[in-house]
Order: sequence, then structure tokens, then C-alpha cells
Amino acid sequence: MREEAGIYLAMIVASIRAKMEYKASFLFLFVALLVFYLAQVGVIVVVLTKFGDIAGWSLGEMAFLYGLMVFSQGITTILFGSLNDFESQIIAGDFDRLLVRPLSPLMQILASNFEISSIAHFFIGSTALYYGSVGAGVEWTWQKAAYLPVVMTGAVLIQGGIRLSVAAVCFWTIRNRSLVHIVVYSSKEMILYPITIYHWGMQLFLTLLLPLAFINFYPSHFFLARSGSNLLFHPFIQYLSPLVGVTLFAGAYALWRLGVSRYQSAGN
Amino acid sequence: MSDHSSAMAPAPGAEARLFLAIERFPALTLYLKFALKAFQKQLAYKFEYFVGVANGLLFIFIFTSLWKNIFDTSKAAADISFSRQGMISYAVFAMIIRISMSQDDLGVMGKVRSGQIALDMIKPYNFFGATLAENIGGTMFHWFTRAMPILAVCMIFTSVTMPRDPVNYLLLILAWTLGYLIYFMVNFLFALLAFWIVETFSFQLMKYGMFTLFSGGIIPLDFFPDMVRPIVAWIPFMSVLYVPTAVFIGHLQGAQAAGFILFQAGWVVALGICCALTWRAARKKLIIQGG
Repeated sequence: MREEAGIYLAMIVASIRAKMEYKASFLFLFVALLVFYLAQVGVIVVVLTKFGDIAGWSLGEMAFLYGLMVFSQGITTILFGSLNDFESQIIAGDFDRLLVRPLSPLMQILASNFEISSIAHFFIGSTALYYGSVGAGVEWTWQKAAYLPVVMTGAVLIQGGIRLSVAAVCFWTIRNRSLVHIVVYSSKEMILYPITIYHWGMQLFLTLLLPLAFINFYPSHFFLARSGSNLLFHPFIQYLSPLVGVTLFAGAYALWRLGVSRYQSAGN
Repeated sequence: MSDHSSAMAPAPGAEARLFLAIERFPALTLYLKFALKAFQKQLAYKFEYFVGVANGLLFIFIFTSLWKNIFDTSKAAADISFSRQGMISYAVFAMIIRISMSQDDLGVMGKVRSGQIALDMIKPYNFFGATLAENIGGTMFHWFTRAMPILAVCMIFTSVTMPRDPVNYLLLILAWTLGYLIYFMVNFLFALLAFWIVETFSFQLMKYGMFTLFSGGIIPLDFFPDMVRPIVAWIPFMSVLYVPTAVFIGHLQGAQAAGFILFQAGWVVALGICCALTWRAARKKLIIQGG
């Protein structure tokens, strides 16, 4: 067990060093990510300066909502970033090579491409969280401080579970690029805004089927001390993010295991 | 743009008819073939297609929901230049126009990196023209297979209606074409960066971010704060989606619409000159790494 951990660590260090070989392009990617996310924030800021609030959420509260999403997305990208391109490993037959090693194939994939450029996410995410909690006047108690990392873990497990399930689809279909595009990336645009702006059917969808609302919408009610505003709201739901995360990830991992067990190489 | 095509010699046999056509309309037929090829290439990906349509509908859903909510709840919504219905139409048509224009990196970067660009340079056509023709083919595909079905779905499921006045359609065609050319040329310029910089993904990311914020695809020019609006209006991206959408739904009319369209035309000329100069510099710069 300890030996295995050492191997994974060595793989992680190797992948970071490989990226740092190109310092200039690494730095540039960091700047580009900042610009990209600032533009995303810009859209929300312009709308809020014009209209004051979105569905009763002020600028500070929207910033907090955004911060929870981007920060957890940063951790998710570091840990599970390589899953988005899993398709190419299946197509090229590279996955076969991982199977013959006496290590977990999933861990090998995750450790071999450690995406550290997502420190840009942490930068934007923590700024948004800080500004958000000042702007919305969050009173930090020890309960809130303790719950924040728990919520983050839940949010990362939700996003990691979604990425893992989408990657597992490859075992059946070989290709999944367009699925990655819509389920992993586009869907997240929905939770830039409080989900109460959507039709109740979509709110239900984002709560039960693709539970993105647990990444930021529901838990932020706890931090911002907001009373519930949507149909499904029960005060208890703001504490469910970790549970939803664990359940979703367990389900995704089961699907992945099933996929691995019935995997037949595409050949080359 | 067409000067090289006549250098092509007629070939005997089965291809003779094609070459006869090329002889008769040297430039046009060749570029038409590029466009057709790109159209066919798109047809090959069926699943991608359905996901692309779903993606477009998702974004329309998000932004129509957003504006409906804002217009129903915000006090500030009363004194702006859009009505609730106008804003929903804006969100729908801006997204449809955006989908009709979707372009990838034009394939230029891959060609530079693999060295295939050298082959393109010795071939008897203008590289800019060939890339544009190829892009028009892909864009026509997007119009018929993505934009139109999405429009049909929106007509059924949202309160959006098409304008009655034929003038709006004429203005749309004009503004869309100019906006499309601006967008293509900005993309072309970004793609040419590959001649100088190996890793261009970061530039793409930045361009995408800027486009999201400053094209009018999500926020119309009118909503930017007074302080920055004049600057934002100058960014060529604003001409890409805002102008065609606003003239089509009748938000910009008469002299105002004409002014914006003239402004677009100015950008087309300016960017055309930039493209020509950059392409000339890029040709001199080109080093092919191995073969």
C-alpha cells in the first residue's frame, strides 16, 4: 500500500515536472485562464450593475456562488482533469498498457496527468469567495469555517463522479468527446446563476439527475444564511452536498469498474 | 485572390469534365469545391451533430430564463431600451446567429505545426481564399442543420416571432455577412500566430473569453455601463453578433442601423489589410521542421 502510494506520487511529480519544462507556455496558460474566467465574471458583473440583482441574489451573493463553483472546479481539474481526454487513450489502445501493470488503472490515469494550471481557478475562486463573503456580509462562525472544506469535498466528488461516469461511457461507445463537451463543460454554465431562474423541471433535474445544484446553490444558503426560495427547498438540503457527492462518486466508480471488466481493446 | 488558378493544366480521362469546368470558371469552381468538401466533412459526425443542437438549445434556455426572470423581478428593467419580449428575441436570435457562425481554429495551426502549410503554399490557390471557402462550406452546414432546426424549436416552444418587414431580413443578410467576415478574419489572424508561437491554445482561450463578453452574444451593447460602452462598441467582436441580431429584431433601425453597418464595413476593410500584411510576414517567417 505504501509502496503504491510512492509510485503514484512519483508519477504526479513527473507529470508536473514535464509541464514545468515549458515555463513560458505554462505561465501563459495561467494568464489565459485568468482572462477567460474574468470574462465569465464580467458577464455577471455587467448584468448586475445594470439590474441590481438576479433572482434576489446581490453581487456579493452571486460572487460567493461563483467562488464555490470555480474553486471546487479547480480541485476537480487537478485531480480528474485527465479523464476528459480518456477517449484518446481508448482509441489509441493506450489503456491496454495500464491494465497489464499491477496498479489501479484509474489511479494511473489520474496520476499521469496532474493539471496544475488550475491554480488559476484557485486564484479566481478564492478572490470571489472572499469578495462574496465581504460583499454579502457573511458572518464566519466556526461551524461555517468547518463546513466549507466539507462542502468543497462534496462538490469535488460530484464533479469528479460526473467526469468519471462520462469517461466510463467510452468503454461502450469508444468516443465521448461531445458528451464531455455538454455534460462536463456546458452544463456548468447553468449554475453560474441561482437555479431559481429556471423552470421547475430544470430545477428538479439539477437536483436529482445531474445534481449540479449541490455544488454551489444549495450549500451557499448555509453560508449566506439565506432562507430557501425554490420549490424543493427544505432547510436540510443545504447540508446534503457531501452525501450527494459520496453517493454519486460511488455510483460512478461502480460504472467504471463494470466498464473495465467488460472492456475489449479497440486494437490497433 | 484568383490569380493562380488558371495555372492548372487540363487533365485527360475521367476528370476532364471537372477540369473543363475549372477552365471555364477558374477561380470560382475551385473555391466552391473547398466549400463542398467542408460541408461533406461535417456530415460525417452524426452524434456530434445532435449534441451540438442540444448544446445550442441549452444556452438559449439558460439566457431566456435569465432575462425572463430579470424582467419579471428587477425594478431597473422598466427603464431600459428593450421590452421583455424584445429581450427574449434578442437572446434567441443572438444565440442562433452565434451557432451559425461557429468556427474552430480553421485548421491553420495544425497545418503550421505539421508542416503541411508548405504544401498549401505551393498549390495554385490563394491560401486565405481557400481557408475562407472551406469555412463558408462549414458555415452553410451550420445554417441548415443547426441554426434552422434550433430556430424551429424556438418558434414552437418560446414566444419568439419572426419580424414581418422584409427590410429586417435584408439588413440581417448584410450585417450577418459583414459580421461573419470580421469574425473569420479575427480567427485567421489568431491562427497565423502559430507561425510565431508554438503553443497557441492559450490565445484561443483568451479570444474565446473576450468573444463571450464582448460580442453581444449574451449581453447587448446597450447594457454596458456608460463609462465603458464607447470602448466596447469599438471592439470588432461587437460587430459580429450584436449588430446582426439588433438590426434583425428591429432594435437598431434606420440611420442607427446604417451607422453600425458602415462601421462593420470599416472593420472588414481594416482587418482585410491586417490579414494581408500578417500573411506576408508569416510567409517570410516560415520554417518547416523536418519533413
